[in-house]
Amino acid sequence: MSTLIERHIVSLLAEKDDKAISLLYENYGDTLYGVAYKVVKDEELAQDVLQESFIKIWKKADTYDASKAKLFTWLFRITRNTAIDKLRSVNNKADKEVQMDVSDVYKLGMDGITPEHLDIQENLDKLEPKYKIVLEALFFEGMTQQEASEELDIPLGTIKSRLKIGLRELGKIYGTALAILLLIILLP
Amino acid sequence: MKEKVKIFLDSDILEKYLLGDTTKEESQQAERYIAMYPEVRESYNQLQDNLEAFAKMYAKKTPEGLKEIIMKSAKMEKVASRKFFRYAIAASVAVMIFAGSSYFFWSQNKSLQEENTLVTNKIKYLEDNMKDQLEDMRNQFIVLNNPDTRKYTLKGQREAKELKAIAYINPVKKLSYINVSNVPNLPENKCFQMWAEVNGELVNLGVIKQFDDKDKLLALPYADKAVSYITIEPEGGNTSPTVENIVANIAY
Repeated sequence: MSTLIERHIVSLLAEKDDKAISLLYENYGDTLYGVAYKVVKDEELAQDVLQESFIKIWKKADTYDASKAKLFTWLFRITRNTAIDKLRSVNNKADKEVQMDVSDVYKLGMDGITPEHLDIQENLDKLEPKYKIVLEALFFEGMTQQEASEELDIPLGTIKSRLKIGLRELGKIYGTALAILLLIILLP
Repeated sequence: MKEKVKIFLDSDILEKYLLGDTTKEESQQAERYIAMYPEVRESYNQLQDNLEAFAKMYAKKTPEGLKEIIMKSAKMEKVASRKFFRYAIAASVAVMIFAGSSYFFWSQNKSLQEENTLVTNKIKYLEDNMKDQLEDMRNQFIVLNNPDTRKYTLKGQREAKELKAIAYINPVKKLSYINVSNVPNLPENKCFQMWAEVNGELVNLGVIKQFDDKDKLLALPYADKAVSYITIEPEGGNTSPTVENIVANIAY
């Protein structure tokens, strides 16, 4: 997307300039917070996760390799893994409680979407639920495809194909959304 | 499309790699395929774009003040790491100094120990040597001062007419000494050698050196009715005396 700002942030990160953190937060903070929240399903925990993730990003700044992953992919991996680790440590502490809360918290997640993200929410709704469920399970629940297959009672082959198709569908939806967004920006 | 590329794309390795869920081997495989095959690279880039799009759909407004907290902790991290770095340098320097001085002291200690062993050995050698000499001197004194000691004057015969030696024999203490006081010059390839016949056997007493032994008493093996001979032998000494070359003998 904004490759220019991406490159700028990457060079600031490499120089260990703390402006990088500020820019990262402004450009990716909301998305990463959303990712963290989707995984841990608790605002306070999600904030902890975001903070820990940013510290990790800051510490690992010199290990980022632009030839291996886009900046966002790298940020996503760190945040997602931090969130999954956090969830596991919380689950270890109070296994049963959290398990019981899962269904309730899921609804909270929907409430948590602010109006600014409503258009995106709409986009999300365009994605067929059968793909969404699989993508969410794999992306946010930290499940392996095998685990998702067992958990959702869907054959492994179907999980694989839904992941692929779902991701492809997303591209289409996102592409149109981006076009609309560009149109809005470009129009006076 | 190559068959193995198709197999790779049909597998879920690329998706797992995208999320960072791959094992080390899978990561290496994914990175290799991405680098080698444009179609894999394209798929990967598409997946990355879609992941970003998907994640953005879940974006959630961050609470007020969180940015400040994060900025502050990042700054603290920077200071801490700088501090750590400084400490690490200081520690490394300290370790290096310690290692250097340890090695210095160790090698010094080692060389001192070696020197110590050397000195100890030397002292022991001198002590033994001194004891031997003292013992020898004591015996010489006993022999020379004992009233039972008999003195025999020897004179050389034939080519060794100038040879003069005095033998001291003490049958009571069973000690005998000889003092060769004058040794005639011999051709370069000849030397004097002393022998003693003890209980019917000839014992080699060694070569008389030209000058060194002038005032020295040489101990002779004592035996009743022993006979000592001086012979002229080829340089370096002989294993058995040449009877025709006997230039002096003493019976005691």
